[in-house]
Amino acid sequence: MRFKSTTGLAAIVTAAALALTGCGSSSGNGGGSTSSDGKVDGTGKTLSVLVNVSSQYPEQQKQWQSDIAAKFKAETGADVKFETFASANDELTRIQTSVVSGQGPDVYSLGTTFTPTAFATKAFVTLSDDDWNKVGGKDRFNPATLGISGPDKDHLAGIPFVSRPFVMAYNKDLLAAAGIDKPATSWDDLAAQAKKMTKDGTYGIATGYKDSFDPWKFIWAMSVQAGNPLVDGNKLKMDDPTVKKAYETYFGWLTNDKVVDPASIGWSNSNAVAAFASGKAGYLMMTTSSSIPTLDKSAVAGKYEYALMPTIAPGQTQSKSDGDAASILSGDNLVVADYSKQKDLAFAYIKLITSKDEQLNYQKTFGDLPANAEALATLTDAKLKPVADAAAKSKATPFTGAWGDIQLGLLNVTVQSIPDLAAGKVDESALDTRIKDAQNKGQASLDRASKG
Amino acid sequence: MSTDASHEVRPAVDSTAGRAPRTANEAGQQPGPKDGLRRKGLSERNRPLWMLIPGGVLMIIIIVVPLLLGIYMSILNLDQYTLRKWVSAPIIGAENFVEAVTNSPLLHAVWLSVSYSLLAMVVTLPLGIAAAVATQNAFKGRAVIRSIFLIPYVLPSFVVATVWRTMLQPGGIVDEALSTVGIHVGLWLNGPQTFWTLVLVQIWASWPFIYLLALSGLQSVDHEVHEASALDGALWWNKLRYVIFPYLKGPLALAFLIGMLHHINNFTLPFVLFGVPAPTDVEVLPILTYVTSFQSFRFGLSAAMAFISLVLIAIPLFVYLRAVKLDDADTPGAKK
Repeated sequence: MRFKSTTGLAAIVTAAALALTGCGSSSGNGGGSTSSDGKVDGTGKTLSVLVNVSSQYPEQQKQWQSDIAAKFKAETGADVKFETFASANDELTRIQTSVVSGQGPDVYSLGTTFTPTAFATKAFVTLSDDDWNKVGGKDRFNPATLGISGPDKDHLAGIPFVSRPFVMAYNKDLLAAAGIDKPATSWDDLAAQAKKMTKDGTYGIATGYKDSFDPWKFIWAMSVQAGNPLVDGNKLKMDDPTVKKAYETYFGWLTNDKVVDPASIGWSNSNAVAAFASGKAGYLMMTTSSSIPTLDKSAVAGKYEYALMPTIAPGQTQSKSDGDAASILSGDNLVVADYSKQKDLAFAYIKLITSKDEQLNYQKTFGDLPANAEALATLTDAKLKPVADAAAKSKATPFTGAWGDIQLGLLNVTVQSIPDLAAGKVDESALDTRIKDAQNKGQASLDRASKG
Repeated sequence: MSTDASHEVRPAVDSTAGRAPRTANEAGQQPGPKDGLRRKGLSERNRPLWMLIPGGVLMIIIIVVPLLLGIYMSILNLDQYTLRKWVSAPIIGAENFVEAVTNSPLLHAVWLSVSYSLLAMVVTLPLGIAAAVATQNAFKGRAVIRSIFLIPYVLPSFVVATVWRTMLQPGGIVDEALSTVGIHVGLWLNGPQTFWTLVLVQIWASWPFIYLLALSGLQSVDHEVHEASALDGALWWNKLRYVIFPYLKGPLALAFLIGMLHHINNFTLPFVLFGVPAPTDVEVLPILTYVTSFQSFRFGLSAAMAFISLVLIAIPLFVYLRAVKLDDADTPGAKK
């Protein structure tokens, strides 16, 4: 058994869960009686909610949770029990156990790119019109945020909670000193501007090549902007020249343009934020509004602005994508477990935390943009304007259960290229091989998805 | 571990068993071979075997059931699309096994796992023995030294890996230190060198285990043996080689076995050091099964991989167990 640690563990968990629950699952839709005015009475019940632990604001998160629990209790009489997961892997394990055993949290908070995978398990409620009304109506949400809630607009499982679109931050002083009057809107311009700012230990661009997510987001964005959405029906188009061009551009910042710190091959996104915060970088790529609290306490406080990331693909003069694809559609969705016996209570909870006031309150504490359209419209902070813009110009990643594998493949090309990056040159044939490998694995995964 | 338990039990069984047959013989029944009688004596038949039930039930729940489930999973087409109703997932027979062997990095992973474990073992053995011998004789501060030696062993794997990862980062403390003496090693956490990084950190983390077992072996050497070899005029190397080392054979064989298994199963160290997707040079077995299960959601395929690796490792393990007779409880005193 020692050899089979992970699988063995999964099997143990599975077996234990089965044994404990006796495969219990029912399709009960109760969860407190609903009175005529739409209020759910959940007296004596406890709703279980699984959320991402906030490593950045742990204290505030606890405070927010206890506040919300009190409000929910006042409204429905039911308690809320929050459980947290520390990483995506952690979350996945919880979901798998719950999916197999048919018991666990009632409400899950999922990252947007993970929503298709979760949807593929069919373990979460696809909302009916009636269900949408119970969470306050589909109209209360910013329409763009619904883009990755389901495979099409009639089959939506994810209820948007917050938007976290990606933007870039720039150091106003450094740009001005280099004679640049406005941030770049094409990747070519970006590299050119970055070159002007790179000197004496200051670099044009701060980014982390060792991050677990950023690399594939760059490649995805540049490819989509060049007119290749990566997944076309059942075909994966990772062997398209646009993808290679994207990698070359992304790696080129380090190898050709020399506009990023060579140490960034070992950086994650937080290292890049730290470099930018110390005033040593012109642009901070792939960041979100949740960097505001950090940057406002740093050396660049008051000297930085956000801007949309370039939307014109490398080597192009205009965007070839329908819509600008300024960012992946990013943020958190809420899903209700199919096995939950208190779905109405779950919907009531979601209704509460997606209400205008609660969304604004959340934005103030954590920096994430509201998914609630009304709340989004009231944000007037000039700094948030480009972020809100990016939210509107976000584009969903392909909605397929194979996306996890595809994303892993895109990331893996970067991981395996890091030694070449360190040596200062990424060999073209090696890059071709890596891309081809990712294409094959991703295509196999897509094939299974179309059968599944 | 079961071997240990049976050794502990043996003396008691032997002593009672030794007496019982004699009475039977005196009564004039069954003149058969004495040995056979000794084996099947009355008190052996009355051994309270039912006391094994709690342990046995636990073994079945914790080991046998998951193992069988794992084998069953390996013939299913089990992925994120079929997970929810996994009992009725389509059975695809040997397809997972064929894919694992022909179209996955499994064999490469097995090779990496075994070679890295062996390398780490080969280095830690002399280190551990040397440390045990060095701290065998009492000297001032020995207790402190011994405690310090155990630090890597008591630190959780996660902590060890996190600290090393921080130290080995590009431009990190290790690079800084080496560059002051003019050595530039390159990347530790990416590329071909990662394999050696893994071996290095594994050595650092696991040599105290060998040290512990070697120490226990040394302490079983009787005082008289030391005196006798001193009287015979044996110098330190001869004494070590021909008098002391034979005592260490048992504990070290055990250490080798447990150490190898532990290295091959070590998930935390490579996972925390390199993250996933791991550089291909450290895509060891646990990492591969993990990625296949929990990143690609191919539960069936990864169960097949785990099963194949179980078999691959079980064969040499079995041969080895027979060779060192760690599993042999029938021959009295076999462990010597």
